[in-house]
Amino acid sequence: MPRVDRAPARPRTVVVSGLGAVTPFGWNVPSTWNGLRSGKTSIGPFDRFDHSGYRTHVAAQVDLARAAPRPRGKPARISLADRYAVCAAREALSQAGLGGGDWTRRAGVYFGSSTGGMLENERYFEALLAAEGGARRRLPRMSILAPQQYNAPGDAVAREIGIGGPVQTVSAACASGGMAIGDALRAVRSGEVETAITGGSDSLCRLTYAGFNALRSVDERPCRPFRKDRAGLSIGEGAGVIVLEPLERVLARGARPLAVAAGEAATCDAYHMTAPHPLGAGAAEAIGAALADAQLDPGEIDFVNAHGTGTPLNDLAECEALASVFGERARELPVTSTKSLVGHLLGSAGAVEAVATILCLVAGEVHPMPAEGESDPAIGVQLVLGSPLKLKRARHALSTSLAFGGANAALIFSRPRPEDRDAD
Amino acid sequence: MPIETVVTGLGTIGPYGFGREALAKALAAGKPVASEVDRGGGWHREGGSRLAALIREPDLSRWIPPAAARRMSFPSKLAVAAGKMALPDAGIETVASEGGRAGVYLATAFGPVHNTEKLLRQIFLEGAEAAQPFYFSECVANTPAAQLAIAVGARGPNVTIVQREAGPLLAVGRGAQAVREGRVDRALAGAVEEIPPLLHALLGRFGALAQAEEKLAEQPRPLDRRRNGILAGEGASLLVLEREDAARARGARILARVRWSGAAFDATAGVTDWGTGHDALAAALRAGLATAGGAAGISMIVSGASGAKRGDLLEARVLKAVWGEAPLPPVMTPKAVTGEYGGGILAAGLLALEGKALAPFPEAPELDPEIGFSPHRGAVPEKRARVLLTGLASGGAAAWLLLERAS
Repeated sequence: MPRVDRAPARPRTVVVSGLGAVTPFGWNVPSTWNGLRSGKTSIGPFDRFDHSGYRTHVAAQVDLARAAPRPRGKPARISLADRYAVCAAREALSQAGLGGGDWTRRAGVYFGSSTGGMLENERYFEALLAAEGGARRRLPRMSILAPQQYNAPGDAVAREIGIGGPVQTVSAACASGGMAIGDALRAVRSGEVETAITGGSDSLCRLTYAGFNALRSVDERPCRPFRKDRAGLSIGEGAGVIVLEPLERVLARGARPLAVAAGEAATCDAYHMTAPHPLGAGAAEAIGAALADAQLDPGEIDFVNAHGTGTPLNDLAECEALASVFGERARELPVTSTKSLVGHLLGSAGAVEAVATILCLVAGEVHPMPAEGESDPAIGVQLVLGSPLKLKRARHALSTSLAFGGANAALIFSRPRPEDRDAD
Repeated sequence: MPIETVVTGLGTIGPYGFGREALAKALAAGKPVASEVDRGGGWHREGGSRLAALIREPDLSRWIPPAAARRMSFPSKLAVAAGKMALPDAGIETVASEGGRAGVYLATAFGPVHNTEKLLRQIFLEGAEAAQPFYFSECVANTPAAQLAIAVGARGPNVTIVQREAGPLLAVGRGAQAVREGRVDRALAGAVEEIPPLLHALLGRFGALAQAEEKLAEQPRPLDRRRNGILAGEGASLLVLEREDAARARGARILARVRWSGAAFDATAGVTDWGTGHDALAAALRAGLATAGGAAGISMIVSGASGAKRGDLLEARVLKAVWGEAPLPPVMTPKAVTGEYGGGILAAGLLALEGKALAPFPEAPELDPEIGFSPHRGAVPEKRARVLLTGLASGGAAAWLLLERAS
């Protein structure tokens, strides 16, 4: 099995002290975890917008009827993606035991989003086109457009909490959330901040739904990652948020770390705008660099939450990458894809999948993918199907995000060692 | 011995032309490089802004072969051209052999927004099945960074930061950090933006743009009593960042050392406006500068002030709070010439260190009593030792960058 060059020793252990999620399974982590464990997909018919003229008609949408309270601010200036982000952040902070207080001055928000408030932008645009075609050019109200920006969900979280430190949104398509968490990990490690609220948020919108359809990347049925008959991805929506802090800070207030944020890395294929490198070269480099960052050997990884979109090329390239890093052991490596259950959350995919990965570590089991379908014999990994896989060892887990433009992100989370679990 | 990050190359494209000399000339002239926006779409408010700092029919064939250009959005072309201009400026032909040791850190506020508009028109007017794959793949925010990576073979981190006016400084800060921490050997860091007519019209409808008033020509007046908005501008500026020891070992010309970068957030800001939290922002800036020799050693401020009413006031209050009783160093406002967006401030900051950035303020300033000082006007008589670049974003984000002469 290949070995990796380990990075030099680090002074600070960074841990996860809180998790938050809004997914098609529900507006919190418990409902999300229950849904993931069920192995039943949330992808199906949806009504967020009229898709009768589209080629495909399934997606994974969040149930707005069960919506959490709205965040602060004028309703018209808050997008759906903002609401997901703020709701997930509130949950994560609550679990971390962080209420209001001085800590916000030394805290930062590191967020990812691929489209921000595009859904609301589209409403404005539709009205604009109607005005263009009408006799009188009364343009729509500008307030609809206010949350249009990519950075709006991250800013909304920062505003809601009253953050005083750095606030940064990364928009790297489907790797946005993963890259944002990687940046947050670096920021806590380096002492740039004492607390990082990190993750991603995106909502369904016509632009991405039609766009991926135009690329013929969307499956007409719910996506089936790593299956022989897979035919594309399914789009979803939601947010995932993680609170990162130095271990000693969490222990000092009597809290318990959920996981160690052990390693991260990002690379670029620099190969093609919409196709992955066929051998997954950039993804393999990212995984190798994340292992080095975590000071782990490939043999220490106990399962993988794969990017696993369900597109023919991506799944193959990703498995090539896993094979090149893990060698023969890749065949025994449990692999799951959260996207098979909640769809592809685009800019927040990496964040929600990081939350799922941590939940699996905490539970000591890997959430399954739906059981239906025949596995692709070209996929040389052990797929977790139908029901959760109880792990003999759940020490370290890898989560990958591979994006448009060849951007790759890899994150490694570990179970806290016994001595890391409490101050005693 | 701490690892230092230095700037060894600059590529810049804007309404002022190509390269640092073109920008220096425009800054010396001190006039906004603005031209009439196409208002034929009928989206513009009557009596509203008519001008933007636009790049007219640029010939980018020196940097991008036509066959590659036709697969790129306008911002992608600008980013690739500026990046390919920056590398030879740093004495580097390519980073392809370095592969994963070269990263891209690029900021954009709106991304390839013209392609977004075209795609939405197809979806809404012709039906979803009419949507062209090209418009989709080239409307995503990170496509300029990805195209740049493909063009130069940069297989390290490919990061697109979307934080409005704070983005360019955040991007350089992140790139410098990656070099300092040894994650990459080289980084191309900067910003890119385009301003198509619809975006210009919408910015105008938000009240963001400078406009003509009675006896007052339409132009941005940063930090001035008469300011009434920004000049929207397009362009791209890319810096080459690398370790100082490596740059010196290869005999590279060093343009600047990145002494410090920092960021903060003003939670009092609205979604599309600036807030009033200058004390907290000043505390963050003061604390950051204290780690880098303090404010006293700063000989010039290249301000992100753009002519925005509340944004400039916040900027002034932050600076005054940090300097306190001490006199402020000369405050330059290059966005009066380059417009907002596109990273012109990065290039101007480097030129300021070289003593090239001359008074970029278009006319005799009028003091705003609330601001309490006017932008510097007149020649810069000497080379600058340390230059602070500032960027306060609508929405609340703030970023700063401290550059110093390295020789």
